[in-house]
Amino acid sequence: MLESINVINFLLPIFYFTVFGVYSYDFYKEKKAVSNIKRLVLFLTLLLHTFYLIIRTMEYNHPPITSKFEIFSIISLSIGFSYFVLELLTDIRGTGAFIILFSFIFQIISSFFIEHTYIVPEVLRNRLLGLHVINALLGYSGITVSAVYGLLYLLLYKNLKSNKFGLIFDRLPNLEILEKLSFYSVVIGFILLTFAMVIGIIWLPSAYPNFSYTDPKLIGTFVVWAIYGFGILNKLLGKLYGKKIILYSIFGFVAAILSLIITNTLAKTFHSFY
Amino acid sequence: MNLVGISINHKTSPLSLREAVHLNREEIAEFIPCLKKDLFSEGVVISTCNRTEIFGFPYSPFFDPDELSAKLAEFKPGIKIEPAHFSRYASCGAVKHLFSVASGIDSLIIGDSQILGQVKEAFDISEDLNFTGTILRRIFDTAVRVGKRSIKETTIGEGAVTVSYAAVQVVEKIFANLEKKNALVVGAGETGELSAVHLKDKGIGKISIANRTLERAEKLAQKIAGDIVPFNSLKEQLGNFDVIISATSADNFIISYEDVKNALKKRRGAPVVLMDIAVPRDIDPKVRDLDNVFYHDMDSLRIIVDQNLQKRKDQIPSVEKIIMEEMVGFFGWYNTLDVIPTIKTMRSFFEDIRLDELEKIKNKVNEEDYLKIEDMTRRMIGRLLHNPTIRLRELAESGSNINDLTTNTIILKELFNLDHSISQEEKNNDETKNEEPLGKE
Repeated sequence: MLESINVINFLLPIFYFTVFGVYSYDFYKEKKAVSNIKRLVLFLTLLLHTFYLIIRTMEYNHPPITSKFEIFSIISLSIGFSYFVLELLTDIRGTGAFIILFSFIFQIISSFFIEHTYIVPEVLRNRLLGLHVINALLGYSGITVSAVYGLLYLLLYKNLKSNKFGLIFDRLPNLEILEKLSFYSVVIGFILLTFAMVIGIIWLPSAYPNFSYTDPKLIGTFVVWAIYGFGILNKLLGKLYGKKIILYSIFGFVAAILSLIITNTLAKTFHSFY
Repeated sequence: MNLVGISINHKTSPLSLREAVHLNREEIAEFIPCLKKDLFSEGVVISTCNRTEIFGFPYSPFFDPDELSAKLAEFKPGIKIEPAHFSRYASCGAVKHLFSVASGIDSLIIGDSQILGQVKEAFDISEDLNFTGTILRRIFDTAVRVGKRSIKETTIGEGAVTVSYAAVQVVEKIFANLEKKNALVVGAGETGELSAVHLKDKGIGKISIANRTLERAEKLAQKIAGDIVPFNSLKEQLGNFDVIISATSADNFIISYEDVKNALKKRRGAPVVLMDIAVPRDIDPKVRDLDNVFYHDMDSLRIIVDQNLQKRKDQIPSVEKIIMEEMVGFFGWYNTLDVIPTIKTMRSFFEDIRLDELEKIKNKVNEEDYLKIEDMTRRMIGRLLHNPTIRLRELAESGSNINDLTTNTIILKELFNLDHSISQEEKNNDETKNEEPLGKE
């Protein structure tokens, strides 16, 4: 099994790069044949990646959440998976290259630095924690995808305002669709983040009986959750739309990244596992 | 093949002449009997606002295309067609030109999709008037296939190539569901009407028309099933519309920066598309600085049109490839028309020998043996002639090497002295034709 893990670990960046290449080629050339093939290539890559994480869990006897580079691999899969679901739901296939690029970057870093992790702290072997992490990562992937769509929205917006009718104008879906894609992905991200927080709150007292509700990680995550919750509510009420909701989504993403950086590096928190 | 054709088009003649020679459906139906009487045994007349094309099979082998232009000038008195005003085509050239016309690569606006329908319609008129035969039908069927393949397999017909359509293309890049949007067209002139029709075709939810002259606004509103916005209340109502297209002949701005700013307040910042396709402009271009205002004028829309025209030009080699493929297929079929009589004569030559030899032994063997010999000789001749027959057909259908085909046919004819048999057969056929003068094919 170890042999298979090594081989797939080597193959995954190549697969993601191929997916990125096929999506980019289709973005530039818009060939019908490629358009149909690319979804299949992405699906096979996600299948291989899922298989890789399963056999990794079986071999090392813990969920693949015990090091930064295992987490990176899950982020890579989550982003790819989020995009795949969005593509299936909306049948909009022109934006894949911009999203899959992130999957490729996370996976190549993971593949380079990932190690065999037979010995890990007992706390990381907990299945509830596994569920919490997977939900949190899928949630963060959702908001990442939303931010990418937000950036694409701004790019097209700028092109339209400045009379640039090149590749971006030709290939990207219209502004309303990009806004919708950004919103759908943020809603999926928000729901999964909520699950992750609920599971975390259930698991936390058993793992850390002396934890504090004023822990920076808890406050930071709650702030990010509240920012997105407020935005989604206002969008549903019709108070935020168009460029404003896009800018708000990007603001939320920046807040989420800052929260992660501060709580994982600068602040002292129970959440420092690695 | 003795197909000939002339073309009076945007490359050869000025618009005034193209307009003068244009034939409508009724005129084509009147003109065809004139052609039938003096020049062609069969033919087709294609006439649009930008081109008039006449194709046909002449009675005379020494046909001069100038006779055709003279005939057209005779039919349309008062016009003077100089030899430089039309192109002449013959044989393969005529077929290739027709295919180019049907594919849209020869049109004034490259990739024009209307021409294919016009080619089909022209052929239908000729067919209705019994002015077509097998070969012409095959040529036009192939031309229509060329047109369809060009649209399906290339992007020759894609992208907006008129300013009013480009405006709609930009609108589609901003809004997803046009059926939920309201549009206002200011100006009920030709450009305004065209824009309103394009928006309607794209399924816009509601269209309103504002025009200084109320009657014209009413007329257009009726045509596109839209509403009317009184011109003097235009500014107050701007905020109700997601798309505003302005195409009036006003000398000054009719929509100012402040008007749009106020409209945006009313819309609580919801995006609005302003298309100023008037010269001089109707909308203050400063409005493009406002957030969520997408302002485009003639210059910016012209960029889209030029880009799309260039993209269509880039598709010409792909269309030419389709034309070439279809020409190979067509001439492959056409060549079999010459080979079939040779094959037929060769087979009857062998059959005659077989029957002759059978006749000689008929009384020398019993009936049972005779039947066996008869059966055996039939199979033997069949097997002997199988390969030459197939080979000749293949050479003809591939159409790739006419020299090989000709050489093989000549050798065959010489070896078996088939020319004598063919001329005998043709003589018999001529006698039959004389009995039925209408049966050309």
